[in-house]
Amino acid sequence: MQALGQNLAYGILVGALYGLVALGLSLIFGVTKFLNVAHGELLMLGGYVSFWAFSLLGIDPFLSIPITIVVLLLLGALLYVLVFSRTIKLPEETKIKNTLLVAFGLSIILQNLALRFFTADERGISASYLRTAFTVLDVRLPIGRLANLVVAVFFLIALQIFLRKTYTGKAIRATVQNWEAASLMGIDIHKVYILSFAIGAALAGVAGTLVAVNYSIMPSMGLNWTLKALIVMVLGGLGNIPGTLIGGLILGVTESATSFFINSNYREIAGLVLFLLVLIFRPQGLMGTKEA
Amino acid sequence: MNKKLIISVILLVVVICILAIIPVVIKQDSTINLVILVLLYMSIASSWNILGGYTGQTNLGHAAFFGIGSLTTRLLWIQGLPFALSFVLGGIMAVALALLIGVPAFKLRGVYFAIGTLALAQILNLTVGNVLPEMSYNPAISDYQLMPRYYLFLALTIVTIGSAYFLVNSKWGMGMMAVKEGEDAAESLGISALKHKLLALSVSAFFAGLVGGAFAYYHVSYYLNMPFSPEWTFDPMMMAYIGGMGTIIGPIIGSIFFVGLKQLLVWNVGEYHLIIFGTLFILIVLFLPGGLVEAWKKIQKLLATRFRRGKKQAAFIT
Amino acid sequence: MLSLDKVNVFYKELQALWEISLDVNEGEIVALIGPNGAGKTTTLNTISGLLRYTSGDIRFLGQPLGKRPPHKIVELGISQVPESGKIFTGMSVLENLELGAFVPSARKAREQTLQRVYEIFPRLSERYNQQAGTLSGGERQMLAIGRALMSMPKLLMLDEPSFGLAPILVEQMFDMIKKINQQGVTILLVEQNIQAALDLAHRAYLLEYGRIAGQGTAQDLLSFESVRSSYLG
Repeated sequence: MQALGQNLAYGILVGALYGLVALGLSLIFGVTKFLNVAHGELLMLGGYVSFWAFSLLGIDPFLSIPITIVVLLLLGALLYVLVFSRTIKLPEETKIKNTLLVAFGLSIILQNLALRFFTADERGISASYLRTAFTVLDVRLPIGRLANLVVAVFFLIALQIFLRKTYTGKAIRATVQNWEAASLMGIDIHKVYILSFAIGAALAGVAGTLVAVNYSIMPSMGLNWTLKALIVMVLGGLGNIPGTLIGGLILGVTESATSFFINSNYREIAGLVLFLLVLIFRPQGLMGTKEA
Repeated sequence: MNKKLIISVILLVVVICILAIIPVVIKQDSTINLVILVLLYMSIASSWNILGGYTGQTNLGHAAFFGIGSLTTRLLWIQGLPFALSFVLGGIMAVALALLIGVPAFKLRGVYFAIGTLALAQILNLTVGNVLPEMSYNPAISDYQLMPRYYLFLALTIVTIGSAYFLVNSKWGMGMMAVKEGEDAAESLGISALKHKLLALSVSAFFAGLVGGAFAYYHVSYYLNMPFSPEWTFDPMMMAYIGGMGTIIGPIIGSIFFVGLKQLLVWNVGEYHLIIFGTLFILIVLFLPGGLVEAWKKIQKLLATRFRRGKKQAAFIT
Repeated sequence: MLSLDKVNVFYKELQALWEISLDVNEGEIVALIGPNGAGKTTTLNTISGLLRYTSGDIRFLGQPLGKRPPHKIVELGISQVPESGKIFTGMSVLENLELGAFVPSARKAREQTLQRVYEIFPRLSERYNQQAGTLSGGERQMLAIGRALMSMPKLLMLDEPSFGLAPILVEQMFDMIKKINQQGVTILLVEQNIQAALDLAHRAYLLEYGRIAGQGTAQDLLSFESVRSSYLG
């Protein structure tokens, strides 16, 4: 019984991380309708920022989150301006597909640049305090993993406040609802896209920090985390921001349950199978409503 | 028009003859292996191109077919089944997989099809890695000869590209390209989008499966889930794009370019060739969707107008 | 104030507007009438910068519009109420209005402008916290117009404000437009309801098949067969 409880707890904690991973992708998709399959690589880079801040400068990983945010904000904006902004000019039918391809090309470039400069070695951030655990009802909750939940909820709330309460956030939502009307209000759609992309990248970076703390990072990790983000997005409903946390929890618990009842080797596969089932039978997601 | 055709055919025969005598003339194993690599990429890129280039369906799970083909062939062959039979069964298994997943997969449009196939290939990748994690050794290793393997790849490449050529120029090929231009428009003309997509998927899978079988024949030892790795989708896809999507010669150029670039940069440190390739890929998707083939056509046009202008000027003077 | 000179617009590969020339003088209400698909919305969208014009000249207060993106055109003082309002249904009435004042010049005066909009449309102040998607058709139109006014435009363009409204609401709508004009806003009105448009406007242009087929005062335009049959029929 305790093992099941422990397993469930871990499932929830890792699910929160998955939700955070998908948060940035969901924002970008909701605003620009781009499926940024290089999201995992942005996460990877965020992880490396924290890693180098930790190993070279001795900065605590959670304290390095602001650094990660700044670096990824800039990188996201840069990538958008250099690469993705050019896809806007493409004809409508091929625009979404070509954006996917461009993002994929970018993931190859980023992955190999990281390989070139960081080597293929697996890296991780470990500090003893991260392994200290609270014990609640016989369930061990290590600080490192608990942080997933805290950070994920924090950024979800922060993003929601930004989108709902600030003028800029409302401008972004207006663009999502009707970009033509938004531009007739004097809203610069180009800037909205850049900002959304930058924030999405920054969120990926923060997730990367947590991954570096709880797991390990290496240049080739991008694809797996991109897939996780896609799964969560589809589960929670595309472009549905609060839904990403729920989608993440569903994925996390599904993986843990698979690990517990079947075999831990099949965790990933269970998630992917769930993804395909939802894609085919309920594409609007478990939370979403039937809108394009 | 006829003259062009005759020249092309002659050129083709010459190239094939040269390729055929390479292993006889050049005894260096490293060179033969290099050409095998080019041939392998050429055929797998061509197979991807049938669905991705001509029918416009971006299949990010192509490695699944390559993998199934190699898995089937390898397992059957090592169990004792004659290679030729194992080889063909590899292709057939790949088609079976294609037909199995085709109908549900094509319910997904555009981007969702892409990520769906990606997920599918990953599922197979991970499952095979879990169920058969040990390295596969070829027991008949002392008998290993490079020549037959070379000719298998050569023959396979010729058949793959030839089949692609005939398929594309057939009625079915026209249908596939119509689907690429616009599914709804094609449907209104009486072209069943689903049937054409399934056909393209099956042919694409068949040849990918055969290449997988050749891969299984060629490599002495490897991890059985290695051919399911995403790079076997992404590299051929990039080759097809860079060479020229939706053309027969595109994947050919793309694969030569890829391997050539890799060789050129092998003396430098790091995976530069992928960085360059990735950049080139993005540039082509954004600015030159027809790939190097389109670039070449544009250069030809440019030279032609210059030449014509020169002729006109000369005519004017005299 | 606004002048179009031989403007040509292509929509994908088809030409939508041919050599459009029209003028709107300060303080006027000018109507753009014509049958469905004649290119009236296209004209407004071109002025607003949502569509590119391939040749010709568009000038506002003497300045050529050039290739300015839509948000810059709002900054110049041209605001459009698009067809069917296109309000942000997921946000409240107040949020919609606030977003209308996005341009830097209007942002400072936002509170005052809001009060003035509430004066013209008292219903909006009553429903300020209501989700815009739950408003009735007439209220939505009011919100759309109010939102456009928040940017303090010198020229207000309306695309079929009477669309889908009951006749009595149409009357009210046009009264409000007249009131807005009297407060100093120049109006360019696109309308299918020829009666209401010609009653309200000082001058009008007839647009047919992407070309200006006629212009003048309401009386002038009534001499056109096509106009007369719509007016009387």
